[in-house]
Amino acid sequence: MRAHLQQHRLLIALFILIALMGLAGCALPVQPVGQATGGASADASQNVEPIYIGVSGPLTGPNARYGEQWIKGFDLALEEINGAGGVHGRPLAYIFEDSQSDPKQSVVVAQKFVADPRIIVELGDFASPASMAASPIYQRGGLVQFGFTNSHPDFTKGGGEYTWSNSVTQAQAAPALAEYTVVDLGLDRLAVFYLNTDWGKSTFDLYARRAEELGATIVAAEAYLPEEKDFRSALTRARDANPNGLVLISYQADGALIAQQIKQAGLDVPIVGAGSLQSPDFLKLGGDAVEGVYIQGQFLPTDPRPHVKNVVDRYVAKYNETPDFFAIHAYDTMKLIAQAIELGGPTREGVLKGLYQLKDVPSVIYEKANFDPETRRVVNPQFVNLQVVNGEFVLWDGVKPEKK
Amino acid sequence: MESFLRTFSDQTINGLVIGNIYAFIAVGLALIFGVGNLINFAHGSVFMVGAYVGWICMTWWNLPLAVAFVVVALVCALVGMAIERFALYPLRGAPPIAPLLATIGVSFMIDQAVQLLFSRNPHAFPNPLIEHRFQVGGVTVSAIDLLIAGVGVATALTLYAFLRFTRWGWALRATAQDREAALQMGVNVNAVNRMTFAIAAALGGIAGLLVGMYFNTVYPTMSFQATFKGFAAVVLGGLGNVPGAVLGGLLLGLIESYGVAIFGATYRNLFAFVILIAVLVWRPNGLFSLRPRVAQEPLTGTFIAKGRPVPTPKWLIATLIGVAFVLPILVPNPYLLQILTNAWLLGMVALSVTLVTGTAGQTSLGQAGFMAIGAYASALLVLRLGWPFELSMIAAAFISAILGTLLVFPAFRLRAAYIAIATLAIGEIVNQVILNWEGLTQGAMGIAGLPPPSLLGWQMIRPHEIYYFSLALLCLAALVQWRLVRSPLGRTWRSLREDEIAAQAFGVNLNRYKTLAFGVAAWIAGLSGAVTGHMYTYISHETFTNTTSILALTMVILGGMGNLLGAIVGAVTLTALPEVFRGLADYRYLVYGLTLLLVIRFRPQGLLGTD
Repeated sequence: MRAHLQQHRLLIALFILIALMGLAGCALPVQPVGQATGGASADASQNVEPIYIGVSGPLTGPNARYGEQWIKGFDLALEEINGAGGVHGRPLAYIFEDSQSDPKQSVVVAQKFVADPRIIVELGDFASPASMAASPIYQRGGLVQFGFTNSHPDFTKGGGEYTWSNSVTQAQAAPALAEYTVVDLGLDRLAVFYLNTDWGKSTFDLYARRAEELGATIVAAEAYLPEEKDFRSALTRARDANPNGLVLISYQADGALIAQQIKQAGLDVPIVGAGSLQSPDFLKLGGDAVEGVYIQGQFLPTDPRPHVKNVVDRYVAKYNETPDFFAIHAYDTMKLIAQAIELGGPTREGVLKGLYQLKDVPSVIYEKANFDPETRRVVNPQFVNLQVVNGEFVLWDGVKPEKK
Repeated sequence: MESFLRTFSDQTINGLVIGNIYAFIAVGLALIFGVGNLINFAHGSVFMVGAYVGWICMTWWNLPLAVAFVVVALVCALVGMAIERFALYPLRGAPPIAPLLATIGVSFMIDQAVQLLFSRNPHAFPNPLIEHRFQVGGVTVSAIDLLIAGVGVATALTLYAFLRFTRWGWALRATAQDREAALQMGVNVNAVNRMTFAIAAALGGIAGLLVGMYFNTVYPTMSFQATFKGFAAVVLGGLGNVPGAVLGGLLLGLIESYGVAIFGATYRNLFAFVILIAVLVWRPNGLFSLRPRVAQEPLTGTFIAKGRPVPTPKWLIATLIGVAFVLPILVPNPYLLQILTNAWLLGMVALSVTLVTGTAGQTSLGQAGFMAIGAYASALLVLRLGWPFELSMIAAAFISAILGTLLVFPAFRLRAAYIAIATLAIGEIVNQVILNWEGLTQGAMGIAGLPPPSLLGWQMIRPHEIYYFSLALLCLAALVQWRLVRSPLGRTWRSLREDEIAAQAFGVNLNRYKTLAFGVAAWIAGLSGAVTGHMYTYISHETFTNTTSILALTMVILGGMGNLLGAIVGAVTLTALPEVFRGLADYRYLVYGLTLLLVIRFRPQGLLGTD
């Protein structure tokens, strides 16, 4: 009897497993996410097969929020591209596969994209372990992997000529931040907090080198883990080193936390932050505590120049919020890829050819982006010096903070 | 000197405040462990729900703080009772490891549901208290510090009074001491169970609210770290020991705070977990247990032998292997092959877990640490010393076996849930050492440019090549392990699992056999890690995290403890499920959690049964 019951339950368990898998399987014929936003042009060219772009990134898991920003940027760009008739007369669409930014899943997604003949170029992944594990698969599959959050210095080296990125490297951003801190703001005894990730660590090393060349002293360097929430102990340590400036090589949530905890630790010095802090979330989470923070960003949403203003206005009209760096980067990337397809043709080889031909690509972040064909990265990126005033990012007014 | 004193007192306050929060989480875990003998992985999720409910109360409804506390406690108590009723109650009488998997499933569902309902972005949680700092004898404290301390002390006293002076409190303690005896004395142990979950969840929720206020943020991923730190605090204090959990939490907070003060924030976890292991070595019952407790039944072991494994005739296994080998020829789809390659590589890890956990009875949650050791060892041998991959892969497996066993060695005296948490800590220590030992491992930068796996000059870069290679390694590992568990050695391992004391009485040297079990397991996991690392070509301390360890244990529980084919079936199922559920997009991990929960509900001994 008991054996019978057990068999019975094994059957139920198997049935549940198979039923749920079957259920999901029905939903499997992937719905191209971006196609829905094709708008008027999609109606006009209903019989035309869209050109597909694969996106590998986090939609669930710890980094899911970045994927959410990407989608907003992509959709805005596609609205414009498809509104203007698409590329080569075909609408552009993307298929977003969730990888959780986990290498176990990003390699599977990579194989999926490589095997799917509709996909002619891939965007992402988010963090280095996931992105770089997938690079060899894209390289071998002859599919361009275009990473737009990949600042790891080795990213474009790993996958050979099929790996491209329009993300600035730390080698470009970190020395510029050091110049802003030391030369422009005149701070010379620095306590630096940095994320202990590949991005944070290499930014810090390059930052410290340039800052010391410029005559500043790093009096305290505090590395912290991405999941860190309690900075009071580390801030107390930094306070005892008696700095006259606090530098944050942080992401938005942790940067806001440090700014909030700094006063509680009895440390009252100007704060300088890396461009990654430039986000509405940083202002929202940080509240009063981030007032006056100096940031070196790559774009300013309130920048009156048309290449920024036009896009930001459309973004605000669509989503009713200010775009952050990740959304704008996603927008820029989609536009750039559209142009590469336009130039080289809607095939995998065409995209690669098109990327080499790109010149002065209009960009919100770079105004005009150009690539070095050797490193497959953007040359001479520009930076803007900002400050948080009355809960908004504005251009820095050029006044040095008082030294304490 | 004065500045030293100021620093010291400030760090002490920092440590006590964060420690107070750990204590809240730990008390709930300790209660649940005491009464239900269960490691509750869903506790952090309830904590996160508490933070969100508090955030809704304060920012949407503008309720006063005191009311928010009551609402949070009530809502979380209901959530706790629901978890007990729907996920755990149906599993009473099942092998004790089954509810553990149910809590993992529940935590997936809650975390994902909160992400879907309240977006993935963190929300600002404005601190309702006046930001005022008091000077108390040279020490600066803020209003929120005092609030946390006050709520902590008040709750501890209330809980103490409840356990000590009320009939329900007696019932709870009686159930914790001896469930069967309590049942015979007329205690409604099921009601006690539910009440325990309600109390634990309410405490967890209040901790969530306090953390939200303290850090001015709520975010959906706050749950895992909370569970993790809660475990550490509980073990420091002694499992199932409520006052010990409070002291453990405070102590963990202080250790972290002083550790950060001396070494820096990046050493926070390393320092805390090294201390944890040290405490386990010298005081295996926790720092604050005066007398050794009644020996707990092992978490796997004695109760495990319910039902036999599903019979698997030799021809069936031969057919399955045959199908696996001809599959790339019949279906040359690289996407499918990559999923299965991942499944074979994770299947090796699952085999290693089923060896130590299923056969030898030592629940392991540190297998990703062994993978990381294997991957780094092979990467460094190839890139720094120019070894060929064939050699470095084998060497990496041995390095993993030696280092892994040495690391776990201090935990050999531990039993049941202790060893699970100790191995979880060891996995974390491995990752922290990799992160901080920059000279050897390049720290956070990771190691890029690993050559793909190769055999005698033949580089495996096409999907079916690495597929065959990993499948062959898996079959080899399974064969060796099958021979081992069928040998006298395997019988001795099973005797450890069934009853350590009896085994010892029969002259079994426990340490020697545990060393062998962990050595073989770390060898297999290290080999899998080495191949995985070369397949990825880039590894960092984030490549093999403790979520992989938990995944490996989940595979084994799902497939059936100690069942070799079960481990592989579990690996294939859990690697394929997220892919099959891809079409569900955002709901993917919600359904994944639900699947785990339902499968274990109807098949608590695992799909293929325990062996």
